[in-house]
Amino acid sequence: MQYRSIIKEEWDKALEQMLSSHDVFASVSNEFGQDYEHIKPANISGITYNKPKPATSLKNFFLPVRENVTGKRTSEKPRIIIGIPNCDIEGLSLLDDIYLDKDFNDPFYRKRRENTLLVASDCFGIAEHCHCLSYGINPWSSRIADLAVVSMDGKIIFRIISGKGEDFIRNIPVSGLPVEKELLIAVEKEHSATESLLSEANKGLPDYKETGRIVREARKETWEKYSARCVSCGACATICPTCTCFLLIDKPGFEKIKQLDACQYPGFERVAGGEDGLYELHTRFRNRYMCKYVWKPQKFQPVACTGCGRCIEACIGKINKNELFMELV
Amino acid sequence: MQADKNIYKPLRAKLTEVIDESPLIKTFVLVPEEEFAFKTGQFIELSVDGIGEAPFTPSSSPVITDKLEVTVMKTGYVTEYMHNLKPGAYMGIRGPYGRGYPVEKFFGKQVLILGGGCGLAPIRSLLYALEHVKDNLEKVILCYGSKTPSDCIYKPLFNRLNKIDKFEAYRTVDKPDEEWNESVGVATKLLDKIKVDINNSLAVVCGPPIMMKFGTIRILEMGYRDEQIYLSMEKNMSCGLGKCGHCMMGKFFVCKDGPVFTYNELKDTPDIWK
Repeated sequence: MQYRSIIKEEWDKALEQMLSSHDVFASVSNEFGQDYEHIKPANISGITYNKPKPATSLKNFFLPVRENVTGKRTSEKPRIIIGIPNCDIEGLSLLDDIYLDKDFNDPFYRKRRENTLLVASDCFGIAEHCHCLSYGINPWSSRIADLAVVSMDGKIIFRIISGKGEDFIRNIPVSGLPVEKELLIAVEKEHSATESLLSEANKGLPDYKETGRIVREARKETWEKYSARCVSCGACATICPTCTCFLLIDKPGFEKIKQLDACQYPGFERVAGGEDGLYELHTRFRNRYMCKYVWKPQKFQPVACTGCGRCIEACIGKINKNELFMELV
Repeated sequence: MQADKNIYKPLRAKLTEVIDESPLIKTFVLVPEEEFAFKTGQFIELSVDGIGEAPFTPSSSPVITDKLEVTVMKTGYVTEYMHNLKPGAYMGIRGPYGRGYPVEKFFGKQVLILGGGCGLAPIRSLLYALEHVKDNLEKVILCYGSKTPSDCIYKPLFNRLNKIDKFEAYRTVDKPDEEWNESVGVATKLLDKIKVDINNSLAVVCGPPIMMKFGTIRILEMGYRDEQIYLSMEKNMSCGLGKCGHCMMGKFFVCKDGPVFTYNELKDTPDIWK
């Protein structure tokens, strides 16, 4: 893995220069919390490095809540997204499997992916409900992203992941310096410390090798008990970095509006004849777990949950999926 | 790979004829603005401009590519609008989508087709496809059931089929009227009177969920193996592209992995008849 470092002030100045030619978004902390924001000169200093996690997931940069998928697309500036935790980066893997599928390649998703430079940020420390490690995902990126950064010792240290990331570092107006061995050792120590925090916080939480079996074997009573506080608001699916379901809405002129949807909403599976396999609340509730931990893993990859914990935070019924897994382990 | 094609954009098709098949079922004859080829059993998303779209398997021959026929039962919001359309209107077509019937696997075999209700629409397309390759087939047996004689669609089809070498077609209704002189009872009852060499046969089941369930059970009882039975599944296929999630049935996207599956592929998936 190749590393380069840039003095933090110089990096901030370089970023400011890039704002005219790029749309830059970054994880920013302010009095309201931490979330992705459109970067302007005024909030460059608020960009948050090393710290999990933006309140919303990365997904909406690639799958907007609502868009016209039949109209003409205006050209967009190249986009840079900075400070992405690895749970969000890994979530893109499933989105890519579905939207860059070889038979039906979604041109809107593809163009956005091609147009975006992904700058991940290592997590030093954890936030409430973080449990990426339980699903085999490290709290730092080593694939899918173009670059990963940490902020340390007054410098921004870049770990170069892709060729696109390498080109970016080569072309920015400040020259990157090699990174001292001591700094890399310090970064590794932070990685280990974060791993320990995750293991400690999630002691007893079943990992991805067990979640599929647990969900498959769970009895109806469990789904009824946990769904009793579900109001079908779909917040869990909306905020999830890997939930990608959508609805096509027709508009005059044979236009189609693609709008994010969720299997938690009543009628998601209903057909015109009236049959609805997910009519009952507990069946819809279970469906999301089956999709994440049984079906998507059978079809695409080991896990369709990246352990970001946002579904727990977003739930107005205070349903905690980790409590469900702990009860059933 | 269709890298530069917009997978969401429908193709316009002119409605040239509307055929009344039964009080609730009409067939729409459509001429797409571009040539449109499909394999029998594949489906399309058919839209009413500005109203909505729904999945249908064309009921016409896959050999014809300059027009297609879609048979639609008035069931809900979109189909009600469709039933009000008049020739000259334009509809939207996306597709064809999914995996259709593997016609080449039927070569040298006796093909048993069990259909019910509006399930005869995709079956008619299959029958046209099989007629086209009948020299390669041993026999085709159609057993079809509908609720009443007036619900029985494509009335001339049965007479025509029975005149084709190697084809046999039987009909039944749940509730006969005074003029009905064919079988009475559910579609599976017709299976009692056919002669078929099960070891050299493949079965196709297409119809409403309840008929699919009991039809499959009956065909298994006859001695067909799981992999000899082809089911045409019906779910809420919305995008047709294996993306929107509405038609997921276990790990399958019915729109892309199906809609035609062997029973062997589905038997371990829970709730397939819902």
